[in-house]
Amino acid sequence: MTGLAPPAVRVRPPTTPAGGRGGSLAWMALPALAVFVAFGLIPLFGVLALSFTEWDGIGDIHPAGLDSWRAVLTDPGLPHALWVTFLVMALSWAFQTPASLLIGVFLAGRQRYREILAVLYFIPLLLSSAALAITYKALLDPNFGIGPGLGIPLLAQDWLGSANLALGVVVFVVSWQFIPFHALIYQGGVRQIPVALYEAAQIDGAGRLRQFFSITLPQLKYTVITSSTLMVVGSLTFFDLIFVLTEGGPGDATRVLALDMYKRGFQANLMGPASAIAVILVLVGLALALLLRRLGGRDASASQMEGM
Amino acid sequence: MANSSMSGLSMSRRGFLNLAAGAGAGMALAACGSSGPGQGSGGGGEASYWFLTAPPAEQIRTNTVNRFNKANPDTQIKHTAFENDAYKTKIRTALGAGQAPTIIWGWGGGGLKSWVEAGQVDDLTDWFAQNAAVKDRLFPASFGAATVNGKIYAMPCETVEPIVLFYDKRAFDKIGAQPPQSWGDIMDLVPKFNAKNIAPFSLAGQSRWTNMMWLEFLFDRIGGPEVFQAVFDGQKDAWSHPAALDALTKMQELVRANGFVKGFSSVVADANADQALLTTGRAAMMLHGTWTYGSMAEEGGDFVSGGHIGYMNFPPVDGGKGDPSNTVGNPAQYLSISAKATAEQKETAKKFFSTAVLDDTEVGEWLDTGGVPIVKGSESKIASSKEPEFLEFVYQTASNAKVFAQSWDQALSPTAAEKLLDNISKLFQLSITPQQYVDNMNQVIGQ
Amino acid sequence: MSTTLSPERGVDLDAPPEQGPGRGRGSWRHNWLGGLAGWLWLVVVVVPIYWIVVTSLKSRTIYYQENPFAPPTEPTLENYQSVIESDFARYFLNSVVVTLGAVLPAVLVSFMAAYAIVRGGAASRFLRGVNVLFLMGLAIPLQAVIIPVYLIIIRLHMYDSLLAIILPSIAFAVPLSVLVLANFIRDVPKELFESMRMDGATEWRTLWSLAFPLTRPALVTVSIYNGLTIWNGFLLPLILTQSPEQRTLPLALWTFQGEYGVNVPAVLASVVLATLPIVVLYALGRRQLLSGLTVGFGR
Repeated sequence: MTGLAPPAVRVRPPTTPAGGRGGSLAWMALPALAVFVAFGLIPLFGVLALSFTEWDGIGDIHPAGLDSWRAVLTDPGLPHALWVTFLVMALSWAFQTPASLLIGVFLAGRQRYREILAVLYFIPLLLSSAALAITYKALLDPNFGIGPGLGIPLLAQDWLGSANLALGVVVFVVSWQFIPFHALIYQGGVRQIPVALYEAAQIDGAGRLRQFFSITLPQLKYTVITSSTLMVVGSLTFFDLIFVLTEGGPGDATRVLALDMYKRGFQANLMGPASAIAVILVLVGLALALLLRRLGGRDASASQMEGM
Repeated sequence: MANSSMSGLSMSRRGFLNLAAGAGAGMALAACGSSGPGQGSGGGGEASYWFLTAPPAEQIRTNTVNRFNKANPDTQIKHTAFENDAYKTKIRTALGAGQAPTIIWGWGGGGLKSWVEAGQVDDLTDWFAQNAAVKDRLFPASFGAATVNGKIYAMPCETVEPIVLFYDKRAFDKIGAQPPQSWGDIMDLVPKFNAKNIAPFSLAGQSRWTNMMWLEFLFDRIGGPEVFQAVFDGQKDAWSHPAALDALTKMQELVRANGFVKGFSSVVADANADQALLTTGRAAMMLHGTWTYGSMAEEGGDFVSGGHIGYMNFPPVDGGKGDPSNTVGNPAQYLSISAKATAEQKETAKKFFSTAVLDDTEVGEWLDTGGVPIVKGSESKIASSKEPEFLEFVYQTASNAKVFAQSWDQALSPTAAEKLLDNISKLFQLSITPQQYVDNMNQVIGQ
Repeated sequence: MSTTLSPERGVDLDAPPEQGPGRGRGSWRHNWLGGLAGWLWLVVVVVPIYWIVVTSLKSRTIYYQENPFAPPTEPTLENYQSVIESDFARYFLNSVVVTLGAVLPAVLVSFMAAYAIVRGGAASRFLRGVNVLFLMGLAIPLQAVIIPVYLIIIRLHMYDSLLAIILPSIAFAVPLSVLVLANFIRDVPKELFESMRMDGATEWRTLWSLAFPLTRPALVTVSIYNGLTIWNGFLLPLILTQSPEQRTLPLALWTFQGEYGVNVPAVLASVVLATLPIVVLYALGRRQLLSGLTVGFGR
């Protein structure tokens, strides 16, 4: 569940009845505000400040001007991490969207057995990323895993030891966990499409495939945007899974931004450059959220930035 | 720490021979009296001690702590064990948080130096001066990696652990060949083993330092110890040495020839999966530290007890300049005292150092599991131990080595080591060329 | 399409009654492509889960000799036993403490804040500002601020304590919880608030005696969502704790993996044990749990 993006919510404009009692209520918001400021907002500014310092994690923190930024921006590791992050994002989107759309449409049917299937579908969502990664690591072990056990060479690939395959495994495991979740969103979307539209299409003699492309898909436009926003922004936070599964390896084949930050900060003891990467992570997330919001159109967007 | 050519990084042959001369047993444990019993009885002064997991070493470490606690009801030590690959990060974050254990187990070298520079560990020079007996009973060479800017910041402990080439005699019988005597032999053996569906070499590539051990030997055998020493000393473009390029190229040739077990990049050493590959007959050879002998004996079925295990020093490379007696590895393990500990805890730690660490029982336990303790006179006990043959080999390898270099990642600063391991894993992944490796690493020299 | 999550419309797995019954059997009957995808995915999901359970019941030696998918010929609980003996109870308890310790305060303070924002937002610039702040908070990924969080925890001398995990967990649960709860409170008919006010009730009393019971489904949903996120959290325990005494389950799984090494059955037994409590909850309250998983979706 930790890989889930902050879910998108559409916020209504404040339509509260007037009644000059805001002041007497304000204190009720204070506890939440205090803890959020202390461990959310201050760290956000803190990470920006730390990116202009030099700190090895155990000594003192010294101001270092733009050193960290210079080091990070000239390091080929950054474009690589950005590229890997983008690949994971794009591939998992490209794999999950059609699959969850199909399954969502399938689940929207009323047969009882589909509900039973749905019960099973959601089990992967309950597993922690750590559990998931450990399971797949054991399953795909080229020497002690399932491939050699079954004696099928095709399965005994070097799944996590070859750069391309490892990236593929990451995308697959992510999809394995989250496709049911997105299918659920699509299921809800499909069930809200007015039946009349299909009835009219049937009278016109439209086939199933045409109905899907001329009615279902356009009607699901905003559901697609919601689901895509979650996938894209959520993919920036696949730290736990990749950390346990490959540690960013082999080499740096699966080293996404978040992992690059961790490795620089907590393993190479370069907290300044690691903070600079963290700032980049925040900026990329914001940019993507805004971009998708624009794509979705201002009013109907389900983007998390709505209401600001 | 390495101003004079090999001093900090490696120990000279003479250094190692000294220890053999250092007269026998009965090392004055009496010295403990001088460190005193600390400020009265316990009461919140409980010291803590972190070390590594993995059998059998973990059990030996635990036993030593238990014996100490039993003998000193007033000054207790609480121990915690961690896995190898995460240990350095854990220690680091704990040090940064001011919550390091009283006694910090480590590898000395560059990691220790970074703790020293941050003022996190105590200077033990004076203590050793006052407790000369404690110092004198240990191999002098083991102090090199405990010394930063001429001062001692750690107590050497446990065993000397060169890296050696283990092999499975059964595998060699199957292909009717002899263990390799040169790099050329190695390359010749690779296709023969592969034809029999046996991986030539086991390797836990995801742990990265495991790959590094190969380069350490290739660099040494081809160009001699000077090549890496130049890197360590921070000489500009030191990685561009022709021997370095040659070694890196040879390394990739072995990878390309399928010299390593399938999927080695995702095998993790923490899990001892690399050892399991050797002991279960899936791989024929493994380059690894001598510490794996104990765990292979314990977990590897009859691989050790049945006499299937073979071992040798890394063979020479044809035409190479390095002395074939040279070796690399851990000259010892190291115990430091956290500067943030209370005076009481520090006293307990020192008492532990002088009375419990490498006491006769512990020395015996190390010997029984195939380790050579860094206590002078250990060699005289080898013959009567459970594993005389292997111990004799380890002892000879360590003491005959003209140069015993400390592992690169331990010698370098953590920042430089991370970069190094990163590039080594890419080299093994064949995702960078030897020249790219050289260029990447030249950029970070002296960091 | 742009409805907001509301008490009646929480994401609901089972048939929403608004739709005519004819549709399901009518127009969807021949959806063979969806059917294929559905059944295929079932296999993809079930096979690894089956493998986990079956393998965890095999002894280590048998695991290497048998077909990995064969049911165990001699099922054994030795793996479970060895996991439980490795201090599993303590890690489990730590996870319970962290989860409850973070979820209860997080939901309570969020509920109060949501109430204040809904009831006082129109009149108070401050509360509107707080609302905007929380909305922005949704966009902060936890990973990005872990270094300063670590620094703050150190300076507060809370490193290596369960509290070190709990406090940031609360902070990162607040924005979404406030948002969802505020939407629910908005759906409470205004007349009810008015009549409370006529009766002379204080806001504090209205909060607990009116809004709280009416918002209960949302509170449960939000609690489940936060609970799962925190129960499965890995990064905070990884960075902010050290000792086995403070280890939570996901971190313990990771260390088990290192300890057991190639003993795959034992590793998988630990996975089963760590997931079991949630699966039990899932079996008991599937609908609640699923609406918890998908909290806050407009659809």
